[in-house]
Amino acid sequence: MVFGISFMEYAWLIPLFPVIAFVVVGFFGNKFKEGGGAIAIGSAVIAFALSALVAYEFFTGSGDAFAPEPFKWLAFGKYELNFGIYIDSLTCIMMLFASFISLLIFIYSIGYMHGEGKRKRRYYAEIALFLAGMLGLVLSSNYFEMFIFWEIMGVCSYLLIGFWAFRHPEGDEASVKAASAAKKAFLVTRLGDVCFMAGLFVLLWAFTSLDFTVLFDPANMATVDTGVIMLGALLLFGGVIGKSAQFPLQDWLPDAMAGPTTVSALIHAATMVKAGVYLVARSYPLFIQSAEVMLVVALIGGITAFIAATMALNNMNLKRVLAYSTISQLGYMILALGAGGYIIATEMAHGDVEATVGYTAGVFHMMNHAFFKALLFMCAGSVIHAVGTEDMRRMGGLSKKMRITSLTMLIGCLSIAGFPFLSGFWSKDMILEAVMEPSSLGLEGQIFMLLFVLALITAFMTAFYMFRLWFLTFKGKPRDASIHCHGESPKSMTMPLMILSVFAVGSGFLIFLGLNDIITFSVISGDFVVGGHGHTPGHILDAILTNVWTYVSLAVALIGILLAYLIYARGSLDPSRLTASGKSRLYRFLAARYFFPQLYDQISWKLGYSVAKGVDYVDKNMIDGTVNGLANSVVGSSGSLRKMQTGNVRDYLMYMAVGLISAVIVLYVLVTTGGL
Amino acid sequence: MVSFDITAFIDYVKPIAPHLILIVAALLAPAIGSRSEKMTAVFMTLAALSAIGVTAYMMYDGYTGTFAGMYSFNDFAGLMALLFLTVLSITSLMSVPGTERRRRNGEYFSLLAIATVGMMLVCSADELISLFIGIELASIMSFALVAMKKNDPRSSEAAVKYLITGGLSTALFIYGMSLIYGLTGTLNISGIIDHLAAADVTWSYMIATVTLLAGFGFKIGMVPFHAWVPDVYDGAPTPVTTFLAIGSKKMGFVVFFKIFLMLFMASHLITGTTHQLQWVFAILAAITMTVGNIVAVSQTSVKRMLAYSSIAQAGYILIVLPVATDYAMMGGLFYMIAHVFMKGGAFVVVAALAARGVGENISDYRGLSKRAPLLAFAMLLFLFSLAGIPPLVGFDAKFILFSSALEGGTWTWLVAVAVINSAISLYYYAKVVKAMYVDKGTTKDRLKIHFSFKVAVAVCAVAVVVIGVFPGPIIDLCGLGADAFLHP
Repeated sequence: MVFGISFMEYAWLIPLFPVIAFVVVGFFGNKFKEGGGAIAIGSAVIAFALSALVAYEFFTGSGDAFAPEPFKWLAFGKYELNFGIYIDSLTCIMMLFASFISLLIFIYSIGYMHGEGKRKRRYYAEIALFLAGMLGLVLSSNYFEMFIFWEIMGVCSYLLIGFWAFRHPEGDEASVKAASAAKKAFLVTRLGDVCFMAGLFVLLWAFTSLDFTVLFDPANMATVDTGVIMLGALLLFGGVIGKSAQFPLQDWLPDAMAGPTTVSALIHAATMVKAGVYLVARSYPLFIQSAEVMLVVALIGGITAFIAATMALNNMNLKRVLAYSTISQLGYMILALGAGGYIIATEMAHGDVEATVGYTAGVFHMMNHAFFKALLFMCAGSVIHAVGTEDMRRMGGLSKKMRITSLTMLIGCLSIAGFPFLSGFWSKDMILEAVMEPSSLGLEGQIFMLLFVLALITAFMTAFYMFRLWFLTFKGKPRDASIHCHGESPKSMTMPLMILSVFAVGSGFLIFLGLNDIITFSVISGDFVVGGHGHTPGHILDAILTNVWTYVSLAVALIGILLAYLIYARGSLDPSRLTASGKSRLYRFLAARYFFPQLYDQISWKLGYSVAKGVDYVDKNMIDGTVNGLANSVVGSSGSLRKMQTGNVRDYLMYMAVGLISAVIVLYVLVTTGGL
Repeated sequence: MVSFDITAFIDYVKPIAPHLILIVAALLAPAIGSRSEKMTAVFMTLAALSAIGVTAYMMYDGYTGTFAGMYSFNDFAGLMALLFLTVLSITSLMSVPGTERRRRNGEYFSLLAIATVGMMLVCSADELISLFIGIELASIMSFALVAMKKNDPRSSEAAVKYLITGGLSTALFIYGMSLIYGLTGTLNISGIIDHLAAADVTWSYMIATVTLLAGFGFKIGMVPFHAWVPDVYDGAPTPVTTFLAIGSKKMGFVVFFKIFLMLFMASHLITGTTHQLQWVFAILAAITMTVGNIVAVSQTSVKRMLAYSSIAQAGYILIVLPVATDYAMMGGLFYMIAHVFMKGGAFVVVAALAARGVGENISDYRGLSKRAPLLAFAMLLFLFSLAGIPPLVGFDAKFILFSSALEGGTWTWLVAVAVINSAISLYYYAKVVKAMYVDKGTTKDRLKIHFSFKVAVAVCAVAVVVIGVFPGPIIDLCGLGADAFLHP
């Protein structure tokens, strides 16, 4: 209770204000200054304030999930679909950082989108709707409701990636690219969404409800076959793979960079792509029912983290490097959740569950990453705003002209690279530890050992490509004379950068301020709680600093930074020697993104086209024939039946008489023959 | 000493309280009508709304009671009274700005109110004579209402046709009634049902039931007793057409439910098999929906098209009778409520346009989306709802009704026919939508729609969407109504 009011009761208001902003801006945006940006910002302020009040109330309360009686929407037979809110620690953390970062990005947009003219109305309306979708998803009390918001976000993502599908500032070719990127994002994530929906069907069939309170109740879970739960969990994870751009559906995210940078920061780095990770964390009670599911989760996460990082190594597009980095970091989170869940799942089979750090690590990293990746994207946006290109080969030496941007971006890079005591350091370290934990578990342990090595290499690559990006952009001499830098960006853009950089430095320390106890997960409600490293700050610090792997990962990251410095700042190593001037096979393989786009194309063309041809044949020859025949016979008989309507009452009376007599005859036949 | 106890009197008339409100209103209407037509319409709408209030309160209160052993009030009678009163409100609202009638005829509203009373009496009637009074009350008022367009020969012609065919149906009904009385020796409906359910099907039994069937089949426009429907719907003033299509037809269904549905369920309890008459109804349902839909395809007038679509809709609702389960009855009630809003809304749009000089042919509707965008959109909602497209209420109604018929498996073929018919119906509904949205009109002048039409259209459109998305409360209400009806 705050001010004597239970704000949790009114949590449903949180997504409502962005919805109102969406409607107001969408219809009347052009009547306001800046296309109604202030209204969108206002809605984000309210959403954040309410989130903060709700979170405060929750954290000072009993700690039990708050799930009031939901609004009954549809009930058919024994199945029911409801609308409600569900608030636990995960909800609070997610809605706090989502609304906060959205608020900063909305403010930043005022500067970044300033030159967009009348299209700003559309932009602000869509990001407001997006925010509503995100907050609605986080507050949902069941999977069905979640799915609706999940799709709303998908639509917003589609619309915003394609924001420049008409009249792109860089010309028509870029417009076409934006349009096709939007389509690609929509279609590829759709593949995941179909899995998600199938998962909903499976779970609804098994549990007759999709409410979290029903699904996560051990008593209900005991009545359902574990195989069914496993199937449902795997299908849900399919949705995660699409939304969070995991292997093998990761390829849409780099293309999605065709949208405005603010959109990339908001949707494709800080919030929407996190929805997948959130779904895994939310569904933990289901996922831990089988170790196999968790193994799949960990494997997909590990593979994604690794291959996305490799693709970032040689890319020259500022935003795409960040996009690959996002995919890689999302893979990290999924990996941590998978590894932690794997331990719980196997130990549950033996009946004794000990503390494991995986869940905490995944959620913690999700939060930290939201801060530093939003920061990095917004810095990139600031750079692009100033120089008008995304190609790093044409930048260089910008640090003198853009002091704030270069400094804040350096902080972001240090944080993501895991430089000691910045936020990325703590959570990355926890992730590595989480992956290490199950490696002692027999044969599957070997797989986790392998994943750990992949994660370690990823840490090295992360440090390398982030600093490659930073040195290429800000250090050295300007490489392209035709590029003119306008200097530092306006206040509305640099202020959010500075605020976020504070979080990129400090959000990791929250783990010592009680966050460790908050990001926990109860295996059986109130009975056993799985959290991080124990409870006191000293305990946590001790666990991290006495672990040899902490120093290994730190060394690996520092080597990565050093290597980037030698190559791109000092110039003591010529990168073209390593890549044979861009001709080496590996280089081309990475530049072609492992040929994933071609693979998609091949599958969709070869498979899709032949299926389409077959369907077309059936449609043209069989269905059309039947339909046309039916239609012709209907229209024909319509004409002749119409003639029965003579307008003569005499005829009408005769029809009645005939009908009466026929009915008697039919009835007589039925009675004498004993029915049909 | 004779004393007048007011509370005892109120208790005595309480079961027919909503009816009394309307009767008083009907008596007052001509007096008001001589001053201002607009005021009469407002007065009648308010009277209907207050009757709705009283009925809703009585239902909320859980009141049940019987008046003079003839008329009972329970959840079913209450629900149907709400339905008919809603119809009356919609009709009154759309009667205000009439270009179709002479001015200042308060008797028009009296006739409407009395007809509504007749329909409500049918729903609460317990025995055949009181049922008959209700039916005739509604019918005779309707004959006069159809003729209300006094200077239009089509209106008079329609009234005459309606009167003659209606006369035949009354004759059949009374004939059937007398045979039934001869067979069972009672006029009490539940007594008749008990008797018939246990009796063997003899010749007199067959003729009695089939004449009753034909007599009421006329009311609901069941093929082949439907031939009056297109002519009358087309010729009558549009508000009256609306009243007949969404109101008077439901009365026919209530009679069917009261006699035949109860008979089937009672017979099923005794014999455990399907009653032969159920097959007759199934066949008639299939023929009705097919003929209605097929003929609607080739219509060029929107009003006539809607008339045929009404016949088809009656065919869908008839599915309740062969299926004869609680769930089907609930679905039937839900369908009737949905039908009020979607068909009513479509007719209101037609009337609103006619009042502004837009013709009744589909070709006159070309380019309407530019001339009256909101009205065109509302029409699109109504037509798509009639076709059964989610998330509109027509979809829910069809879904519940058809799924009820799938239980047990006997009537799967009927559902198949109904589904094919739904597909056909989309064709002629879409034709109107195409004319409104795709075709270019001859003019782009904006149409100014009268306020009361706007209110009626808005009420129907909101109902079509809101009940479509949140059918739960209405389904519960229909469940209560069906329960009160089938298990008194």
